[in-house]
Amino acid sequence: MACLAIPLSEARADEPLEVTFDGDNIHVAAPGLHFLTGKPLERLKNAATVAFVSQITLFSDEGKTIFRRPVAERLIVSYSLWEEKFSVTIRGADSTRTTPRLLTAQQAESWCIENLAISSLGLAPERPFWLRFELRAADQKDLGSLLSDTGISLGTLIEIVARRRGADLPSWRRDAGPLRLKDLPRMFSVRGRIG
Amino acid sequence: MRYVWLGCLLFGGLLFGGTQDSEFNVNTRYTVENVVVSGDGWTADVGAGGGNDERISSGLRKDIAALIGEKLNPTVLDEMAKRLRKEFHARTVEQRVLRGKSPDYVLVVFDVKLRPTRFDVSVPKFLYNGKQGWSGAVEGTATLRQNGFTLGLVSDGDELVERYAGIVARYDNTRLGTDRAHFRFAFESYHEQWNGSTTAQVQATQAGPVTGQEMPGPLNTGFTETSGIYRTRRNFEPEVTFVLAKPLTLSVGTSFQRFQDQFPAAQTESANALITTLRYHRRLEDSDNQQDLDAGYNLRAATRLLGTDFVYARHRWEFRYMLTHGKSVVIDDLTSGMITGRAPLFERFVLGNSSTLRGWNKYELDPIGGNRMVHNTVEYRYGVFQIFYDSGAIWDDGEAAVLRHSAGVGLRQGNFSLAVAFPIREGHIDPIFMVGMNY
Repeated sequence: MACLAIPLSEARADEPLEVTFDGDNIHVAAPGLHFLTGKPLERLKNAATVAFVSQITLFSDEGKTIFRRPVAERLIVSYSLWEEKFSVTIRGADSTRTTPRLLTAQQAESWCIENLAISSLGLAPERPFWLRFELRAADQKDLGSLLSDTGISLGTLIEIVARRRGADLPSWRRDAGPLRLKDLPRMFSVRGRIG
Repeated sequence: MRYVWLGCLLFGGLLFGGTQDSEFNVNTRYTVENVVVSGDGWTADVGAGGGNDERISSGLRKDIAALIGEKLNPTVLDEMAKRLRKEFHARTVEQRVLRGKSPDYVLVVFDVKLRPTRFDVSVPKFLYNGKQGWSGAVEGTATLRQNGFTLGLVSDGDELVERYAGIVARYDNTRLGTDRAHFRFAFESYHEQWNGSTTAQVQATQAGPVTGQEMPGPLNTGFTETSGIYRTRRNFEPEVTFVLAKPLTLSVGTSFQRFQDQFPAAQTESANALITTLRYHRRLEDSDNQQDLDAGYNLRAATRLLGTDFVYARHRWEFRYMLTHGKSVVIDDLTSGMITGRAPLFERFVLGNSSTLRGWNKYELDPIGGNRMVHNTVEYRYGVFQIFYDSGAIWDDGEAAVLRHSAGVGLRQGNFSLAVAFPIREGHIDPIFMVGMNY
């Protein structure tokens, strides 16, 4: 399948995005995208659960007019301390999917992205479109820590608000296009029709 | 109204800010082998008997020890970390989970990081009451070892018959030679605002006894037993607290209050009082229930020895019992007070605010407060939901006490509360909405 994938233009990427079509949904693959690294990996190796939020957006022109509103999906990752492998659960609007077994970091990353898709409903095969794939570590603002016996601590509030978005939350973005459904490599469906 | 929605949004965010992601954590299959709590130069190995470490409260120690032998539950670990953070007033509590000595067992480490910075700004009170409007306070505290220096701003229209707004400054020493003695010196300077009904009642009583029914409250006793309206008020209050026995504390101090009368202008009066407070707190725990018992007695005795213009004794008794069983909490809070002699308006008791006879308007009950008061609150909470029933009476010596009741429902999470309360009476019922924290 990888050899059928077409290289695409990109706005901000290290590796090109691979886009495929299963007849109902559009899928992406980003072999060069490694998000189980850095601080999220540190937290995972401390037995914590780390959540990522992903979304795929379709544009009818080059990133200006949204053709299909994105649906965010939550990727919940944890790391087995004893088996040293990863487990992922994807919580979407319509379903929850979990890895059937524990995976290596690379396998887990691939599984996550392969299981993300957006419906092609209403998109004519000939119509050009642009696609944006975004992934970011979910914010974990600790609102509970604001409260103390002496009331609400503004120091803590400032500390939380002052955390610049993205300063300690890694995020990734890949753009592709123009694309047409009829040009996309076909793949077998890994999930039912969306939407 | 938009502030109400803002309050609701903030409250909702706090209620539902948590996540259920941890239920998908693969490590929940492992068993907790041991728990270690470490801090600045100390370590408590709970599994090896360090669970008796006196630094951690008995209830929390017990709950931490209960983790051992159970499957790892990240949500419970987060909860324990929050409780440790609160108990130690720590900046953060980092939790680490490591492989245990045996396969499929894990070791949990809580690392308590105390605040390296010694300055914080806090909001000790924040409240919106549908009848009394906004009340709030903001304080900045700098801490140097056991010394705390606080400067704050306050505007409170809820607690007393007056709305007082101004500054507070405080020095706290939490270790006056020994851990069993604390010292505090507080300075307060306020400008006063008065409700029209309070002003009218004071003026009416100044003019002499009135028997008409056009004014609410007891019109024939007020002014002779209290002060007139004042425009400013200042207070200097040194106080030492002794821990007599572990659950029993005694505070002794003095309060030097000076206030400038509205009429005649520029006349200053004083109310200088000795203060004594005796407090008792006891927590009893068994496997299912937790019981908290608080009792207190406060005496403010203004005597000629301190050069006061007002001579009085103000007694206040408090008793509070709280039973916690799982998510259910039952609270009974009984307060009563009595003033003998002639006390200024700020010393008089008030009911019908955001903590007593909720739903009633304090200015309808008694615009200048009373020198006798009794109040009881029964409250039931289940999770974040709360219902309460208040009953109480406020009157002046020589009058008949009228018992009044109110009831309400609301949401409570930590110090935050949102409630609607109704006075129980015949005729038109106007509910009062309250939202805020620490009230």
